[in-house]
Amino acid sequence: MNNAQIEIQIIASLVSIACAIPGTFLVLRKMAMISDAISHSILPGIVIGFFLTQDLNSPILILFAAFTGIITVVLVEYIQKTGLVKEDTAIGLVFPALFSIGVILIAKNANDVHLDVDAVLLGELAFAPFDRLLILGTDVGPKALWIIGVILFITITLLIAFFKELKVSTFDAGLAASLGFSPAIIHYGLMSVASVTTVGAFDAVGAILVVALMIAPAATAYLLTTDLKKMLALAIGFGVLSAISGYWFAHWLDASIAGSITTMLGLIFLFVYLFAPSKGVIAVLYREKQQRAEVSLLTFLLHLKNHTELEERHVNHLREHINWQRVRAKAVLELALKNNMIVVDKNIVSLTKKGDTFTSKAIDYIITNRDAQIEDMKDDFFLFRG
Amino acid sequence: MTKMDITEYFQLVFTDYTLRTITLGTAILGAVTGMLGSFAVLRKQSLLGDAISHAALPGIAIAFLITGAKDTNTLLLGALVSGLIGTFWIRGIVKKTHLKSDTALGLILSLFFGFGMLLLTFIQKQPNANQAGLDKYLFGQAATLVESDVWMMAIVTGLCLFVLLLFWKEFKLLLFDADYTTTLGFNTKFIDILITSFIVLAIVLGLQTVGVVLMSAMLLAPAAAARQWTNSLATMVFLAAIFGAFSGVFGTAISASQTNLSTGPVIVLVASVFVFFSFVFSPSRGLLFKQIRFIKNRRDLELHKTLAFMHHIAETHDDISHPHAIILLNNFQGYTRSTLQKLVEKNYVEIKGSMWSLTKIGFETAANLYTKKSTDNE
Repeated sequence: MNNAQIEIQIIASLVSIACAIPGTFLVLRKMAMISDAISHSILPGIVIGFFLTQDLNSPILILFAAFTGIITVVLVEYIQKTGLVKEDTAIGLVFPALFSIGVILIAKNANDVHLDVDAVLLGELAFAPFDRLLILGTDVGPKALWIIGVILFITITLLIAFFKELKVSTFDAGLAASLGFSPAIIHYGLMSVASVTTVGAFDAVGAILVVALMIAPAATAYLLTTDLKKMLALAIGFGVLSAISGYWFAHWLDASIAGSITTMLGLIFLFVYLFAPSKGVIAVLYREKQQRAEVSLLTFLLHLKNHTELEERHVNHLREHINWQRVRAKAVLELALKNNMIVVDKNIVSLTKKGDTFTSKAIDYIITNRDAQIEDMKDDFFLFRG
Repeated sequence: MTKMDITEYFQLVFTDYTLRTITLGTAILGAVTGMLGSFAVLRKQSLLGDAISHAALPGIAIAFLITGAKDTNTLLLGALVSGLIGTFWIRGIVKKTHLKSDTALGLILSLFFGFGMLLLTFIQKQPNANQAGLDKYLFGQAATLVESDVWMMAIVTGLCLFVLLLFWKEFKLLLFDADYTTTLGFNTKFIDILITSFIVLAIVLGLQTVGVVLMSAMLLAPAAAARQWTNSLATMVFLAAIFGAFSGVFGTAISASQTNLSTGPVIVLVASVFVFFSFVFSPSRGLLFKQIRFIKNRRDLELHKTLAFMHHIAETHDDISHPHAIILLNNFQGYTRSTLQKLVEKNYVEIKGSMWSLTKIGFETAANLYTKKSTDNE
């Protein structure tokens, strides 16, 4: 690994951390698409800022472009408030318009602007180490590193200082307001951080990757935990992991680093989406299948309890009467047998003592909907758990 | 494309083959996206279009990698497949996990797009001269439309119109009351998938002209503009198609008359102007008329307040038309010179010098003001 490679990985990691922190809150506040809107609509801000400063890394440009991001949020909220269109439509109307203005501005000044739309969308992480920051003639590292470092430092400081306020306002906006935290200040504070991060990061990784780095790690972490601190930590972890693995993947493929980091984020998300212990798709499907079987079992047991006549409890009759397919009936029968709920004697099914008490308790629970009766049943059955 | 001005463009559009093709193409595109966009907007799926169009990018790249050819239809087929995968993955995420729809949309949008960009940069590094021009799908280049593309669009639009008319009742019902539709015995899942698939199809169709980044606006803007003028679904769909078609034509005209201008952003800006205009000037919902109505209502209210106060004073006298000093009204909020003047105009009040007196009509109206109110409240 040479120096430039290490620097690229450090920049990518810092960007991913700086994005994961506001991203976590955006995902929790159901405002993920706002980050997409901001990332697009900062474009005119960047272009105008570039006309004024002639330097893509100038702090003035960053503030100017971040301000465009805030304007987007305000504009979206204004349109929402008029009630003319639904909330998501407002987002979808504002950012394409602003982005179009940006693209046209670039196109009309293509000759005197060294800025192209591809770079804005995708960034040029590979070139980041070549743009050095010189202080009094000494080389102190790549500019991008310093920019994102400063942004990250501010973000972390704000996070630690206002963690409690952020947490309360995210999960209970009403409580936060009644405790005296201004929802508006927290909301616009978060939006400002998101805007500044987006602008600071776009030069390195491009507008789309910023969105991916904000949403994907947070969403992945959200599938694994419901604890805010753990979620933040996991999101940062996933971000850094994909930043570094993405860099090497791009290196091997000789393709865009930003695209490759996004792909890594996608793969990590896909993996967690499928295999997360309790919220992954496989776990959910398994649980749903179990619950279906248990509902069937309960129906079956209830039927047995309600009928003392022998013919009603004959295996063949049950199949017709409850109208299950053969396979499912068999599965339910076996499940009941396994749990010692029933005995089968000459094709006549009857409840055991255990099955009888279980059924009574279950009915009691369904009727009263109280938890106390089923505490001891919870271990055996998914149905009654949460 | 050479430089010309707009009037020149409209003269040429009927004679020049290229211009005619492009204009027809963008007009048809605008119409079909406007039509289907109405459903997306009303179903609160506005941002789905954004996600789908971004999600289509890897499909284009993969289709190119497999076939190695730049045939538009093949690439768009790839886009269609990957757009559909994205759409159904979004539904899967929302249905099976506790992640919300905005997160799902943002995820699929950015992840698919990032993957697509990875593939595009990978393709660009390949020693294959054929690869140039794939990035036109980012922002669209209407100039690359040829007659067969326009035919393709026309066929899809025709198909779409046919299905729309065939299932009109079902679509409408599903739009406004999904539960009721289910209880009536319609297969809501089928209708839902049908309409979503057509939305995906329309988006994919527009990628060549408007590009993945801005395609969502083509879907939303005409529909959002049309929504402001009507409360009827049929009228809205029709208006959205008109707005979309005009955005396409004007956008193409402007972008053709300038050098260095991608069609996509210009069409989007034209559509945004339609939206802005509709937001402000629509008679029933528009901001302008809403504000005018607001001011008028406030004025009426002030008038009522003034009249009620006058009635209150006049009541204490035997002669209702007994004159009172205007100064009396000064410390009352609803009173202004203009409200008083209005009351005079309506013949409720007479003014003599610095004194006012209620007329008989004025007294009765003021008395009824209260009784009416009290009956309204019951």
